[in-house]
Amino acid sequence: MKNRSDRTVLSRRNFLKKSSLVPLSSMLAGLSAEETRGAAFANQVNVAVIGFGSWGREIADTLGRIPEATVAAVVDTYDVMLTRAERSVPEAATYADYRRVLDDDSITTVLIATPTHLHKQIAIDALSAGKHVYVEAPMASTIEDARAMAEAARDASGQIFQVGLLSRSHPNYRSVFQFIRSGALGKATTARAQWHSKESWRRASPNQEREQEQNWRLDASVSTGLIGEVGTHQLDPAMWFLGTRPTAVTGFGSTMLWNDGRDVPDTVQIVMEFEDGVHLMYDATLTSSFDGAYDVYGGRDSTIMFRDNKAWMFKEVDAPLLGWEVYARKDKFYKETGIALVANATQLDAQNIEATEDDPNLETPLWYALREFVDNHAFGPYPPAAGYPEGYQAAVVAIRGHEAVMNRTRIEYDPGEFEV
Amino acid sequence: MAMACRFELVLQGENEPWLRAAGEEALREIERLEAQLSIFRPDSDVSRINARAAGRPVPVEPRLFRLLERSQRLHADTDGAFDLTVGPLMRAWGFHSGHGAGQPDEDVLARARECTGMDLVELDPSARTVRFLREGVRLDFGAIGKGYAIDEAVTILREAGVERAFLHGGTSTMYGIGSPIDEKAWKVAVPDPLSEDGEPAAVVNLVDEALSVSAESGRSFTSGGRVYGHVLDPRLGRPVQGATLAAAAGASATTADALSTALLVQARPIELPDMRSLIVCRARDGHARILNGGLATNSHDPAALSIPTAAS
Repeated sequence: MKNRSDRTVLSRRNFLKKSSLVPLSSMLAGLSAEETRGAAFANQVNVAVIGFGSWGREIADTLGRIPEATVAAVVDTYDVMLTRAERSVPEAATYADYRRVLDDDSITTVLIATPTHLHKQIAIDALSAGKHVYVEAPMASTIEDARAMAEAARDASGQIFQVGLLSRSHPNYRSVFQFIRSGALGKATTARAQWHSKESWRRASPNQEREQEQNWRLDASVSTGLIGEVGTHQLDPAMWFLGTRPTAVTGFGSTMLWNDGRDVPDTVQIVMEFEDGVHLMYDATLTSSFDGAYDVYGGRDSTIMFRDNKAWMFKEVDAPLLGWEVYARKDKFYKETGIALVANATQLDAQNIEATEDDPNLETPLWYALREFVDNHAFGPYPPAAGYPEGYQAAVVAIRGHEAVMNRTRIEYDPGEFEV
Repeated sequence: MAMACRFELVLQGENEPWLRAAGEEALREIERLEAQLSIFRPDSDVSRINARAAGRPVPVEPRLFRLLERSQRLHADTDGAFDLTVGPLMRAWGFHSGHGAGQPDEDVLARARECTGMDLVELDPSARTVRFLREGVRLDFGAIGKGYAIDEAVTILREAGVERAFLHGGTSTMYGIGSPIDEKAWKVAVPDPLSEDGEPAAVVNLVDEALSVSAESGRSFTSGGRVYGHVLDPRLGRPVQGATLAAAAGASATTADALSTALLVQARPIELPDMRSLIVCRARDGHARILNGGLATNSHDPAALSIPTAAS
């Protein structure tokens, strides 16, 4: 450890700009953060990826950047996906039946990226087989299923159970969460989020039977629609930041463009009412890409916007000065000026990188989530930032939101339903 | 949009929603690959490799590693005319800015030359890592990336059951799956930029085949009493006259893309198994000279798709 007297004296100006997250590597003399971490793993973590659609493949690719984990097996019921697995993860064994990996003692961990309505059985079986489990969000397609999974995870206390709510492990989201908790918004008064992407959401396959399985998103009997599949990832951080649960949700939905026989709307809106009176307005559509995806939380003193895993604060003219903002990096968005809230703003400035550009020092959100999941094998098990309570809560909120859309109605949340 | 160019697909078949779905998936794959290969995105795999590989071996994702191995082989097969490490040299000569910037500073040029050459890129297949033997080496997949993306997109389309399709990136690299309905092949006219009567250099019939066309970008320039061409030769470390246009066709869009680049530099035919090519050169009298490596035809087909003559 460095001697106190060796430390450079930080000028007040630099101190105010520095992030509150001190990189681990600067505290350990001699060893890089990577070397320290690697030493803590007694064995390589052998994992199986169950479900090799585009997200399963993304998970496998990301694990390629986490040296302590090895993808030992890939499971998918569709042979084309297994062929793709052979191309991108050539050393992994491939199976059509997930039970093969549950029987394999050398595989300690499974990551589940199958269609949502198939999560439950696989997750519960995996927990019974003693595996650590990472499961994608939304956790399940019905509240009953989500509850069964949460209870199984609760009872498997020596095993890791993490849900794919990526904002919970992202450094930028975490630092802003603390910042909001310190009162930067003033009282929250408005919240709005959107997800716009012009795409059909349909997947292609060469035969009719497979066609239906591939297009579970468009099938009302199994799909949680846009609110479930996409909205979950924006509704979860909203609840996290607002610090309350919703009390009711009203939904609307219609099929505006993709009239191809689907019974899941391609354009939806929900209004979610929260305990302290804030209403979140959320809209998602497959008919237009305008302005992509972002979240905006407004308060008396400022508004915070999340976009592409980065955040900015827009202050009201009559809000109290925070002091440090005078030195902070600012970016213009049309007529608004936003103060960049990034964990390493000073570093970005030094590298001459614009706020809206991609940060070379940043990894993908999935990487942070999987890094934490893999670390838990050596340093834990400790409760993940997105464990079964968060996963279950997000599932309940999103599934009822989807129900509200499908029935074009207002649904009140039953507080008892959130208890596991 | 990906790789700073527009990718377009034409899909033919009975079921429009299904075709659209297949097309979307193919385009998503292309975007994914751009995210992985782009040197303009600081968080891409290639940017990460470029930032770190001089220090220590960097692990590479399996498909990208195979592309690196293939690029090494193509470098050997083209006698070094195709070279992934040509980036710093291109920057020194001002190629990235669109026009030749004139004779670069001697030191800048010397340094750029020192880090050019695939021999400075060490691949370890057992560890699946890449290492640079010198600081300053930079990988740039600009001469092969489009072809690679198209090959991967074609695989996705075929896996979805698509039997008739045409796709291209920036009109310079393209692939025809099957043939159009009621036609025997996807027909593409390769322009002859030096032709006085607008006749194409070739009409290529693509059936489950790729075609890539490389053309000169910018003009030759004079500096210090010397005329410099518009095509960078990685072996000589400077721009050369090269060809006016080069085209290559074969089963692999990846190979065709790399080969057409190499032919533009070499201005002489390069034999690769199962590849056909043609080169259009400016002869001393200013007229076109076509070096036919199996691609050139004399026929003029009004039904053929025309490649724009402006460089892409």
